[in-house]
Amino acid sequence: MLRAEALSVPGRLAGVDLAVGAGEVVAVLGPNGAGKSTLLSALAGLLPCEGRIQWSGRDLPRIPFLERGRMLAWLGQESPADFAFPVREVVAQGRYAWNDDDHGVEATLEALDITHLAGRAITQLSGGERRRVFLARALATGAPVQLWDEPASSLDVRHALEVYALARKLADHGHALLVSLHDIRAAYRFSRALVLDRGRLVADGEPHAVLTADLLRSVFRIEARFVTSLVPELPEPPCA
Amino acid sequence: MKRAPSALALAILGLLVLGAALASLAFGDAALPARDLGAALLGQGDELARTVLWDIRLPRTLVGLAVGAALGASGVVMQAFFRNPLASPGLLGVSSGGALGAVAALAAGGAGSLYTVPAASILGAFLATGAVMLLARQGASAEHLLLAGVALNALFGAGTSALIALSAVDVQASGQILFWLMGGIENRTWEHVAMALPGILLAAAFLLPLGRRLNLLALGEGGAQSLGVDVRRLRWQLIALSTVLTALATAVAGVVGFVGLVVPHLARLAFGPDHRRLLPLSMLGGAALVLLCDLPTRFISGGLRLGVVTALVGGPFLLGLLRRRPC
Repeated sequence: MLRAEALSVPGRLAGVDLAVGAGEVVAVLGPNGAGKSTLLSALAGLLPCEGRIQWSGRDLPRIPFLERGRMLAWLGQESPADFAFPVREVVAQGRYAWNDDDHGVEATLEALDITHLAGRAITQLSGGERRRVFLARALATGAPVQLWDEPASSLDVRHALEVYALARKLADHGHALLVSLHDIRAAYRFSRALVLDRGRLVADGEPHAVLTADLLRSVFRIEARFVTSLVPELPEPPCA
Repeated sequence: MKRAPSALALAILGLLVLGAALASLAFGDAALPARDLGAALLGQGDELARTVLWDIRLPRTLVGLAVGAALGASGVVMQAFFRNPLASPGLLGVSSGGALGAVAALAAGGAGSLYTVPAASILGAFLATGAVMLLARQGASAEHLLLAGVALNALFGAGTSALIALSAVDVQASGQILFWLMGGIENRTWEHVAMALPGILLAAAFLLPLGRRLNLLALGEGGAQSLGVDVRRLRWQLIALSTVLTALATAVAGVVGFVGLVVPHLARLAFGPDHRRLLPLSMLGGAALVLLCDLPTRFISGGLRLGVVTALVGGPFLLGLLRRRPC
C-alpha cells in the first residue's frame, strides 16, 4: 500500500527502501535525530525529497491533493492549539477530503475516549487530551494508510496502550500503519519494526528478531537485558 | 462564552453596519434629518440635501464600508496564516509600501490630480506585494515571510521618513503627507469608490469560499496538506487576496491602523474561530468600525483623523488583550 525507493532528504534521510502492506502495523524506532519524523513526513508527501514514493501503486506526485486526503492520514508530532476550535470541529476536519463533515465523527470520538470533550475548545485541553483529538482527526479520514508520529507522547499509560491496541485493530481490518515511538518495549506489540540511525534504515523485520541487544547497543548506545517483569495490559478489549 | 448562531450574528452585525451607514449619511457639517435623508436617497426633496448626500456623503460612506470590510477580511487572513491572533494587515509591509508611494507622490506635488496619490499608493503597495509573493511562491515559511515583512516595513518606513524630512520646508506638502499618513475618508468622490470598491468586492468574492481551508491551515500546514489541501496554492491565494485588499484600502483611505487587528479578534471572541463565519463577520465588523470611527472626525476639526480614532479605540483594546493573555 505504501512503497518508497531510495527515499532521501538531504542531510536527514539517506536512501531508504521500504514497503508496507495492508494489515501491517510497523513501529519506527531510532534515537533523536535519526530521521523518524522526516521519514513519516516525506512518505506523507509533506517534504521535498528525492527518490520514489508510491501509494497503492501510484506515484505520489501524480495523486491530486484532495485524493491524498482520502488515501493517507498523517499525525504530526505537534498538536497545535493557537485557535479555540471545539474538539468536534477539529475531528470533523478529518472529513475535509470527503466533504461530508460528520461522517463517523462520533464513532471516532468514542474510539479515542474523547466524547466527553467534544464541545470543549482544544485550547482548554491537556497535552494528552489534545494528542487524542488530533489522532481522532487522522482516524476520521478513514484513510487506509495511517502514519502516526509519536502518537503516545504525553499520553498516560492506559491511553497509550489503547492507542497501540487501536493500531493493531486497524491493521486487523486491513489498514497499514507506520507508527514512530520511543518506547522500545511497546514495539514488541507491533508486527514489524524499522530502526533508523543517522538517516539510514539499519533494521527491518519482526520485532523479536531485529530488536536484539547488539542492535540496541549500536544504535541507542544502551545495554539492554531481556527480563520478565510487570507488563501493563488493558483489562478488557478497547472499544473501537 | 455561549456563542451566537451564525444567522443571528450576521443579522446583528448587518444591522450595526446599516445603522453606522445611515449615521454616516446623516451627520456632518449639515445634518440631514431622517425625512430629508429619505427623500434625498430617492432623488427627491431639497437640492442642497441631494447634493450633500449624493456627491459628498454617499461616496464617503461607500469608501468607508469598502475600506473597513477590506481591512477586516485581510486581518482574518493574516491571523490564520501566521497562526497568531495578533497579526494584522500591515504585517507584510503592504500598507507601508502604499504609504511610501503616496508620500512620494505628495512630496512631488502630485496632490493636484485626484488619481495621482491613490495610483502611487497602489503602485507602492503592489511593489511590496510583489516582493512578498515572490518569497511565498518560492515556498518560504511563515516565519520567513514575517521577517521579510519586518524588513520591508523598515525599508518603506525609512523612505517615508526621508521624504517627510525632505519636504519639511514645503508646509503645504508636508501637511498633506501627515494628514494622509493618519488616514481618512473625507472628501472622497465617486472616483475613489470606483478605484476601491470593485477590486475589494472581487477579492472578497474569491476569499469567502476559502473559510474551510483557513480552518485547516490555522491548525498547521502539514496537517492541512495531509487532509487534502494544496497548501502551497492556498498560501499563495491568501497572500495575494489579503495584500490586494490592504493595498486598495490604503490607496483610498491612507494608513488606517488597528481595524484589521481588533475586528477579527473581537469577532473570534464573540462568534468562535470558524473562518467560514469569521470572514463575513469581520468584513461587516470592519465596515461598521470604520464608519463609526469616521463620525467624530466630522465634528472635531483639526487633529482628529480616522487613523487617530481607530488607534485611540484599538490601542487600549490591544493593551487589555495583552494583559489578559501574556505573550
